[in-house]
Amino acid sequence: MGASTLMSVGMRAMAANFAALQTAGHNIANANVEGYSRQQVELATAQGQYTGAGFFGRGVDVETVTRSHNAFLTREAGAASSQSGADAARLAQLDRLEAVFPTGESGLGYAAGEFLNAMVDLASRPQDSATRQVVLARANDVASRFSAAAAQLDGLQTGVSQDLQNGVAAVNGLAQRIAQVNGSIAQTQGSGQPPNDLLDQRDQLIAELSAYLQVTTIAADDGTLGVFMAGGQRLVLGLQASSLRLLPDAFDVSRSALGVVEGGTVRPLTAGVVGSGSLGGLLRFQNEDLVAARNQLGQMATALSAAVNARQALGLDLRTPAGSGGPLLAVGTPLALPASTNARNGAGNFIATVSLAVADATALQASEYGLRTDSATAGRYLLTRLSDGLERSIASGDTVDGFTVTVGAPAPTATERFLLQPLTRAASPMRSVLSDPRGLAAASPLEAVRDIANAGTARVASLAVVDASVNPQHTASIDFTDANGSYSWTLRDRSSNALVSSGTGSWSAGTPIALNGFELRLDGVPAAGDTFSVAGTSSPQASNGNALAMAALRDAALVGGRSMTDAYASLIAGVGVKVQSARASADISEGVAASARTRQAGEAGVNLDEEAARLLQFQQSYQAAAKILQVAQSLFDTLLDVAR
Amino acid sequence: MRIATAQTFTTGIDQLQQRQRDLARTQQQLTSGKRVERASDDPGAAARAERALASEVRGQASQRALETSRHAMTLTEGALGDAGELMQQVREALVAAGNGSYSDAERAGAADRLAALRQQMLGIANRGDGAGGFLFAGQGGSQSPFVDALGGVAFRGTAGEVKVASDEALTRSVDGQAAWLASPSGNGLFKTSNASIAPNASGTWIDAGQVRDLPAFYAATSPPAVANPAALTYRLAFTGSPAAPTYSVTKDGATTALTNVVYVSGQAIAIDGMEFNVQGNPASGDGFEIRLATPSLSVFDTLDRAIAALKTPLRSNAAVTQGVQQALSDIDGSMAALQSLRSQVGEVLNHADMVEGRIADQSLSARTERSSAEDLDMLQALSLFEAQKAGYQAALKTYASVQRLSLFDFLNP
Repeated sequence: MGASTLMSVGMRAMAANFAALQTAGHNIANANVEGYSRQQVELATAQGQYTGAGFFGRGVDVETVTRSHNAFLTREAGAASSQSGADAARLAQLDRLEAVFPTGESGLGYAAGEFLNAMVDLASRPQDSATRQVVLARANDVASRFSAAAAQLDGLQTGVSQDLQNGVAAVNGLAQRIAQVNGSIAQTQGSGQPPNDLLDQRDQLIAELSAYLQVTTIAADDGTLGVFMAGGQRLVLGLQASSLRLLPDAFDVSRSALGVVEGGTVRPLTAGVVGSGSLGGLLRFQNEDLVAARNQLGQMATALSAAVNARQALGLDLRTPAGSGGPLLAVGTPLALPASTNARNGAGNFIATVSLAVADATALQASEYGLRTDSATAGRYLLTRLSDGLERSIASGDTVDGFTVTVGAPAPTATERFLLQPLTRAASPMRSVLSDPRGLAAASPLEAVRDIANAGTARVASLAVVDASVNPQHTASIDFTDANGSYSWTLRDRSSNALVSSGTGSWSAGTPIALNGFELRLDGVPAAGDTFSVAGTSSPQASNGNALAMAALRDAALVGGRSMTDAYASLIAGVGVKVQSARASADISEGVAASARTRQAGEAGVNLDEEAARLLQFQQSYQAAAKILQVAQSLFDTLLDVAR
Repeated sequence: MRIATAQTFTTGIDQLQQRQRDLARTQQQLTSGKRVERASDDPGAAARAERALASEVRGQASQRALETSRHAMTLTEGALGDAGELMQQVREALVAAGNGSYSDAERAGAADRLAALRQQMLGIANRGDGAGGFLFAGQGGSQSPFVDALGGVAFRGTAGEVKVASDEALTRSVDGQAAWLASPSGNGLFKTSNASIAPNASGTWIDAGQVRDLPAFYAATSPPAVANPAALTYRLAFTGSPAAPTYSVTKDGATTALTNVVYVSGQAIAIDGMEFNVQGNPASGDGFEIRLATPSLSVFDTLDRAIAALKTPLRSNAAVTQGVQQALSDIDGSMAALQSLRSQVGEVLNHADMVEGRIADQSLSARTERSSAEDLDMLQALSLFEAQKAGYQAALKTYASVQRLSLFDFLNP
């Protein structure tokens, strides 16, 4: 024992305090680095030296540098940021979607209402070409608003695909870097000391990845970390990173799906595998919200145009001679999309085909449908309504939810799938196809006349043409045979007066008399001998019967049992509720993520005041250790003086 | 728990931004005056506002339809008023022409006057509605509905009426045929005439008669008492000497209670609720017919007949009187029909006024509904704005003072 021992103690103390000061400085330097974990020097007392007089301390050792890290909090923060990323991505898209369906005067409902209201003016002045021009302009307006909304939805789809593409590129880059960092960490494994900054870097990369995808991690013995997607799909294992690929959807190529590259082939991933994260949020928006919006838009477009066109066909226009009106609005046709995996022939065309046709536009549901063969019964098919999962077994040619499904020959095999889109593409090409104002069928093809000699009080309340089977060449005559409403009717050819058909019936107040495709309603009470005749319209220029019927479409249950106004009001309310609840979810998950981040930062973050105090503490210790050296120095000097 | 310095800055900034966003949103609401700018602000209210807007716009459309109806009905009402005045003039001219002291030439002059009035009347019946249609054309209004054809004025429109697309039925054109060409003949319920079987040489005539007892009239002239009311014919036949004439009334050939009744000049003959007077000196062989009224009375035919009668020279006073009486009775019938149509039109106008009130009420309530759904409560918003402003100021102040604190400031250099 001697001065040299004291000097060694002092030097060790100086080194230890210097290390602590350096670490504090490192902490201060990295205080604002994202993902940095506070480090601290672990000091330990050096084992004492045995002498006859007992153990003498030999100073201090620097054991290691550790980082303040809590794996649970890190994982929690990662999961919370996945959820928050998903909610935020979906909310951002829903916000844009909401702008496609504005309220008030700029909305679709208003345009449709104005179009049908123009029919009121047409009924007031059926001969006026200016009024007719207004109706056409309104029709054009409503059609272009529908197609503009559909175009905006297409724009949203493009944006989603672009975002997904960017997200996939970012995920692939992050996975590569995680694999690299895994390698670096594995190399340091032999040193026995934790590579703190590399670990921080990897944790940070995983946190960044969590914002895109929901991942789980599993640590391996060699210090590497395996990263897996929500569904268990491997993303990083050791030094190997898989790569994701953006694919077109198997049915609808305008939509995107994710796939993973495995040994040169790309395997599609289902939405469930992706889980949350901004990619998950975008996929959910694309597959649920955007599809629902498209279908609702298509439902309104199809219902409106089908109702108006049907009415047009039942009326007479202003041409000479007057004919039944042509279509006023045109919408996109329903589509049946085969899966890209379905069998193809030599020319590359799909062998099995399915076609759709709208049969009753008012019964259409805002949904897409899946179709596959029914394995239980040959010749039947399982039709799944994707909006609510309702599954029905149908045969080819059956009409379900307002559309007819026809399966072509040869029949699809058991593995083949089809996606039926009765409405998805309806609104996009919507346009007004009538440009001649005289083509508007304002006139009713029939008119009802009360015989002038009728003694009863019955008057014609309304005459409605309800069926395309109406024949204006046939003149109906309704003769009441008693005072209780019994009548006999005849249908005669207009020119030859030949009897076409005849019969009897009974009228009661409030019920229409239906014949030859028309419904005649009477007010008052007919007396025996009273006669009403319903014949082809004598002056189509002046008649407004069909315009009245078109104006009545304002109240008709066109769209799944609701009027146009109600349908649009509930559409915007539905989108509004979606945005509202998405905003609430985003707020909540952002709050959860923020508090997880705060908790993690409380564990791992740097407090500058703390580091300042530590600086002071270790500076003083360093000074004290230096003092030890000074004392040891003077001891040596004393000894040397003695020896001199 | 440790506070990480970097995190406090981030959190502080996030919170300040959140407050700023809230403040900006309230400020934007105050600027626009709307509480609901997008559906997600309040989906239920947005849907309510949407429906209210549709109802408001629909009210405007209904109002336009109503104006169309009212315009046409006002024109129709005016035309019927003009027609009423003309009819009055026709009446005066006829009464004057019935003056027994008139010469043939004077009667021809009166006939010319009637012809001019008839021409005016035809003009009124064909009056247009100013929008290419005709007021009295019924359902078919692309050409003049009343045309002078062989055998009198014919109707080229279609009977019935055209309605506008208001929520309550309002008409745009009325059925002119019923009023102008097919009002009930006779006195509106029955029609008296000279029997066609034999001319009345004695110069007696029968007046238009009237119904004294309506229930008895209906009971006796409709099923089941009479199988075919359209063919029901009462015949009044005179017998007896010129000094003491008697009469009998048969109903569809069957004798009635009035058989061989002594005729008293000036005393009305009453049967089945009807009363009529025979004037002059009835002689044996004179006969009259009473049938139920038919919708066949045409204004123009009446005038044509009266004009033709007045232009016929060398007629007896009795014949002239009979003709003028007949014409006056018919003119009264036509006037009643036109008046009835006028009152119907007035009723439509009345109805239009009431509908207008209802449309105004509906529009107002729609506007109120829309406003209450989406407009901002200014008072509430202003107080919220003040509170948010104070909160933001406090946050800024505390943030600045807390973040300025640092141990480094207190360490000696």
